Amino acid sequence: MTLAVPGDIPSLARRVREILAAFGEDPGDEDSLRARVDEAAAAFPDDVASPPAIAARLLGRSLKETRFELRERVLELESLYDLGLSIGGQLDLDRLADEILLRSISLTNSRSGSLHLFDGERSILSRSFGGSLLSADDAIRIDLDPEGLINNRARDVPTSGVRVSDCEKCIVVPIQSETRRLGMLAVADKETRDGTIRDFFPADARLLAFFASQAAAAIETARLHREALEKERMERELELAATIQREILPREIPSFPGLTIAAENRSTRQVGGDYFDFFPLPGERFAFVVADVSGKGVPAALLVSTLASAIHLQIEDARTPAELVQRVHRHLCRFSRARKFATLFLGIFHSGSGDLQYVSAGHDPALVARAGGELEWLPATGRPVGIFWDSTWTEARTNLAAGDRLCVYTDGITEAQNPMQEEFGAGRLAAYFSRVAGMPVKEAASRLFGEVLLFAGEAAQYDDQTLLLLAREDAETL
Amino acid sequence: MNESCRVETARDGDLAVVRTEGYINREGGEEIERCIQSLLEAGVSRIILNLEKTKIVNSIGISILIEVLEKMMERKGALAFCRLTPTIDKTFRIMGLAQYAGIHATEEEARTALSATA
Repeated sequence: MTLAVPGDIPSLARRVREILAAFGEDPGDEDSLRARVDEAAAAFPDDVASPPAIAARLLGRSLKETRFELRERVLELESLYDLGLSIGGQLDLDRLADEILLRSISLTNSRSGSLHLFDGERSILSRSFGGSLLSADDAIRIDLDPEGLINNRARDVPTSGVRVSDCEKCIVVPIQSETRRLGMLAVADKETRDGTIRDFFPADARLLAFFASQAAAAIETARLHREALEKERMERELELAATIQREILPREIPSFPGLTIAAENRSTRQVGGDYFDFFPLPGERFAFVVADVSGKGVPAALLVSTLASAIHLQIEDARTPAELVQRVHRHLCRFSRARKFATLFLGIFHSGSGDLQYVSAGHDPALVARAGGELEWLPATGRPVGIFWDSTWTEARTNLAAGDRLCVYTDGITEAQNPMQEEFGAGRLAAYFSRVAGMPVKEAASRLFGEVLLFAGEAAQYDDQTLLLLAREDAETL
Repeated sequence: MNESCRVETARDGDLAVVRTEGYINREGGEEIERCIQSLLEAGVSRIILNLEKTKIVNSIGISILIEVLEKMMERKGALAFCRLTPTIDKTFRIMGLAQYAGIHATEEEARTALSATA
């Protein structure tokens, strides 16, 4: 009902104002009170629209609004409490980011929001709801104080130098730990019931900053958990690689007439792909191999497994070392993934003549320490296996006389570094074998590792070290 | 994440199920209000509001839902909510919606509860 007599409104409004004031309710300015009185009076039949009835209706509405606002505050507190609780239980960063973003939008009555997480200059997670407010790059470069920034003129004025997209008003707050920025949280366009967009106030920014601080704690927890899982996964993988390698390497050194043999492998923590093996063959022949495959960890261990299988399968049928290497190479090309290769030294020793046939596929030069003290290097006779399908290898020969020693090793020995990043090198290896000429073979092999360890000192080593030492028997030294 | 609210209805006599998807803010709340208003005008008196595909509400959306509930009560109708996320469930309870409408785990439970009011 609208009162018919215009002059009645001021007097009605005046009476209503007096009643509201008596109940401690702020009646507001004249125009808004008149509008509210007019609206309330319309709900009553003519004879009931008395000042007390209208005032009671306005007080009832005010009470309802106050109760709603109080409940909103309770909801805010409960949300912050819930988010705090979920930090302990929620370790999935994606789900946590969604929860933080949705709660931030909801509790600020915003229409849209974006959350970006980054690690230094690298974006690690981006979430948006209702449209992306900032790109990941802008989120990283925007300069923010810890309390964030309110921009109620976002269409016209950049927000700390960055244009926030598709919004009229926004708040942007940093997500940061004690030591670094972890990300950024932004919400935009605070709704009202009548469809307009309200300004954001410092209370909104404080609420959002509180969410951001909760988010920072949660993100740090989730990151630490993820790092712990990753470490555990890597350790399991390394253990698996080490197990594979242990299973493949021979458990015992075979005895063979006319030869004294020593072999040792030292795995580093990263578990590389070193391999050695022995094969007594018919006709008083003794085959041996030392190999170093590319990569580390499980992939390298699996490649060693493929290589070992190929050698075991082919060694009986191959007539020469070159033919064997060729077959092994084709096998690797067929069955191993791209860019996987191996260097290897494969030799066949004839015990009757002392002849050694060998192929060195890109392997570090083997060293022959002659009984008379001379040193000879046996350079590679072709490329590593497993790279180019049409590679071929030439075969070379030498002879081991009584007392001569052959040292085949992997580059984990010669490339072992000391804290000054100097390598042990082939020179020190040669000098070592000159020095231990009269020492029993097994002891000479073992002591070399001690020598390398002494050289390396505190420096961490990242490559496996393998040494195979063969000596043609000489009664005086063995 | 999808933000605009979509509403689907399925009517069965004087009972209807309204399924929402997206943000229940002012726009989403008004969409629900329009939908329920037309159901009421068409003679529906019991409504189940299934929020399975809604992950976010704000207080403007809630105030509209309260208005809808008041209208339904004036008409002696009944409304029940179902399939709320834990966050929305808690929000509705804190904001007082649970005083006017039941909150149920499934559509079937809500249907049973509303049948008892028929």
